[in-house]
Amino acid sequence: MERVATGLFREAWPGRSQLSVAGLSCVLALPFGLAAQVGAAPLDEPIKPIPMVQELDPARTELGRRLFQDVRLSANDSVSCASCHQLASGGADQRAFSRGFSGRQALVNTPTVLNAGFNFRQFWDGRAGSLEAQIDAVIENPVEMGSTWQDVIDKVTAAPHYRTAFAAAYPDGVTQANIENAIATFERSLTTPNSRFDQYLRGDADALSAEEKAGYLKFKQYGCIACHQGVNIGGNMFQKFGVMGDYFQARGNPSEADLGRFRVTGDEADKNVFKVPSLRNVALTAPYFHDATAKTLEEAVDVMFKYQLGRVASEADMQSIIKFLETLTGERAGPQP
Amino acid sequence: MNIVIRPSWLLMMAIAVVLASTLAFLYAKTNEHDPSASFESLALLRQVKQLDAQWELNVLKSKIGINQDYDPLVEPLTALQAQWDRLETLVNLRAWSDSPDWLRGREAYLEALGEKTELIERFKSHNAVLRNSLAFLPIAENDIHTPLRQIGGSDRPEQMAVAADLYDTVLSTMEYAQTTSSDKAAEVEASLGRLAAGKALLPLDLQATLDILMAHVRTILREQSLVNGLVERIGAVPMAARLDDIHRIIDQTQLQSAERDLLYHQFVLLFSAVLAGLLLYVGGRLIRSYAVINRVNKKLQEANDGLEQRVQQRTRELRETQSELVATARQAGMAEIATNVLHNVGNVLNSVNVSADLISRRVRTSKVQGLAKAVQLINEHAADLGDFISRDEKGKLLPGYLNQLVEALAAEQQGIAEELEHLTKSVDHIKEIVATQQSYAGTPSLLEAVRVTDLLEDALRMNAGALQRHQVTVIKDFSEVPPLLLDKHRLLLILVNLISNAKQALSAQGNRAHALTLSVRLLDESNLRICVQDDGEGIAAENLTRIFAHGFTTRKDGHGFGLHSCALAAMEMEGRLTAHSDGPGQGATFALELPAHAVPGRS
Repeated sequence: MERVATGLFREAWPGRSQLSVAGLSCVLALPFGLAAQVGAAPLDEPIKPIPMVQELDPARTELGRRLFQDVRLSANDSVSCASCHQLASGGADQRAFSRGFSGRQALVNTPTVLNAGFNFRQFWDGRAGSLEAQIDAVIENPVEMGSTWQDVIDKVTAAPHYRTAFAAAYPDGVTQANIENAIATFERSLTTPNSRFDQYLRGDADALSAEEKAGYLKFKQYGCIACHQGVNIGGNMFQKFGVMGDYFQARGNPSEADLGRFRVTGDEADKNVFKVPSLRNVALTAPYFHDATAKTLEEAVDVMFKYQLGRVASEADMQSIIKFLETLTGERAGPQP
Repeated sequence: MNIVIRPSWLLMMAIAVVLASTLAFLYAKTNEHDPSASFESLALLRQVKQLDAQWELNVLKSKIGINQDYDPLVEPLTALQAQWDRLETLVNLRAWSDSPDWLRGREAYLEALGEKTELIERFKSHNAVLRNSLAFLPIAENDIHTPLRQIGGSDRPEQMAVAADLYDTVLSTMEYAQTTSSDKAAEVEASLGRLAAGKALLPLDLQATLDILMAHVRTILREQSLVNGLVERIGAVPMAARLDDIHRIIDQTQLQSAERDLLYHQFVLLFSAVLAGLLLYVGGRLIRSYAVINRVNKKLQEANDGLEQRVQQRTRELRETQSELVATARQAGMAEIATNVLHNVGNVLNSVNVSADLISRRVRTSKVQGLAKAVQLINEHAADLGDFISRDEKGKLLPGYLNQLVEALAAEQQGIAEELEHLTKSVDHIKEIVATQQSYAGTPSLLEAVRVTDLLEDALRMNAGALQRHQVTVIKDFSEVPPLLLDKHRLLLILVNLISNAKQALSAQGNRAHALTLSVRLLDESNLRICVQDDGEGIAAENLTRIFAHGFTTRKDGHGFGLHSCALAAMEMEGRLTAHSDGPGQGATFALELPAHAVPGRS
């Protein structure tokens, strides 16, 4: 049913019952889409399509959407989650380093919030085990939001519409856990399904051009797929940045942030280890890497080849791969209607 | 009213509270044991274990390249944690959630989980690199061989040797990847050394390609042992053992809980037995106290009966005393009666006196003296009687005088005779009064046929003198009354008294015309009513009630006995005497009501 609904699925994210929309789409899609889909089995590939259906509490999602855009979460009411995770441009920040409530720069490039729910851990160094923990870390981060939970709870409680919305969505009203849960619920709704590549994975062979398909082949052949796989095309493992060459020495100017997961575990083996980021909507989320040094996909792919794969690729292959990467942009990833 | 809480009540309340709370405690304890929660915990635990096994299996699948992506290494952990959270929630509801066994077991499990998670994270990273290099190895080899062949490298033995070394290296690396051993590693290292030595013989671009290949071979060399070591360590993480420990803990607590439950059930049984015994005891006490109450009640009843008997006895005694008193009173009454008799006799004696006085006056002024003078005159003129009578002036009057005298004497005699008759009657009355006194002394009243009107006439006559003196007009309002059986003398006594009383009431009003009304009528067949009404001084309202009391009088020379004796006499005749007056100066009416018994034989 999901597969049948694919072609006509168009829906803005927040606060709607995805199930009923999916059901409606199914009914609409039947007469048109069925014939074309017959015989097209989903492909067994290392990359899995994003599910079309979400099962999330609409009230909490809507509440989270409002909180996500609310500057009251920051110490001086200057920045919201959406200030850095710009939903209209890939859920990330176009700036290399986002600026926090006081104008100070973050140490790493802002990862996209889109499909973040699929990540096995949050942050570049994976220090948050869940979206809730990620929110907690940002709220009290002295650079980012610089707030305290007590302040946030007070501010949220002071707003009558929040009070009523929380009372309706949670039995215990406004609490830290409920604020976190609301925002996390909203973030889990920020998936970008039905990219052209997902359509291809679901069996629509015509969803990709021959060049893009070739690009995917190269992507697999060159071994990119070793790390960027799964439903989120990454986001399910840690990897050393510079496994086949010393990236940081080449780049120069090493910083504390370059230590990556080492800063969390203190384990020598975790030096320069980062979470493998998702490649979904990657065309929208420049600049790339934790240090935001790659301004374009070409630069990023080039660095990956050199330091991760230890391979040399032809310019044509690189372009081909980039073509493939551009098919990973899903619905609802760009500017919202 | 003060409610006094006695110590025994406090004690009983305390005992009741203790018993109730013991029961509640035991009840709560027996309910505490819920095997279903334990079973659910165990089911969850099995699921965790299954997920753990699946997780580990996925690691192996990833190692040998069956899994193309690493989501299967993330998802079991998420599911496992969710199940574990449910398990902890369940355990936290249990009483043993803070038992050291559980805490230790939980700690050990979480430690193992953390260790395994970390190892698997590392495994993912290294395995990805390893598999990438392994996948690349044939391609890399091909990347060198193809150009070598193309540039005719087969003609040059040095390059041939390098090519052979390359094969060797790739092969031994593949072998190493399959069966990781230090021997194989040494072999790979050796072939790598040879390759490095021969590298210079290759064209420059191929030298770079060879570098890449060698880098990947080294990577494999490094990563393969790492991955193998990690997989080994992952397998060695005692997750299953920890889960088994927890399984055992839950089993044990379940067993203990069941045992405890059994124990508490036994306690409840015991407690119930105690309670039942207590109830029996209390029941026994109750029955006993009922018996006591019954006994006391019986005693009370007996005492009551005795009391009643005593009361009866006392009543009897009292009655006897009363009789004695009555007798005494009777004696006193006799005296009273004597006074009464004397009083009545006095009344009648008045009449006797009047009659005697009248007679004596008549006798004193009798014309008999005239007769004596006439006889004396005749005697003086005995010689010449004829002459005297025919000639003498005086003599001529004598026969006429004598004729007159005869008439006068006859009238005089008749008057005296009448007066004597009255006298006799009064004396008779006195006789009867005295006789009546005999009746007070025990003789029942003598009923005889009486014409009430005659009796009234008698009574009036007895008071006639006084009535005349006081110019009392007597009005007789007599209706037709047949002769009735009555105690004539008592009735006469009453009437005389009432009339005398009325007369005195009238006389007190001064010299004016007075009226005394006597009326007689039958109220019905068996009741007679005689009224004596005067328009005299009347009776004050406050005196009406006491007028019949012994000794009550309003007169200076009264005895307070007349009306009293009348009332008594009326009562003795089974009738009653009542007085009525509208107040002083308004006159008074005395009404005598008597049962009227018709004279037998008359209709």
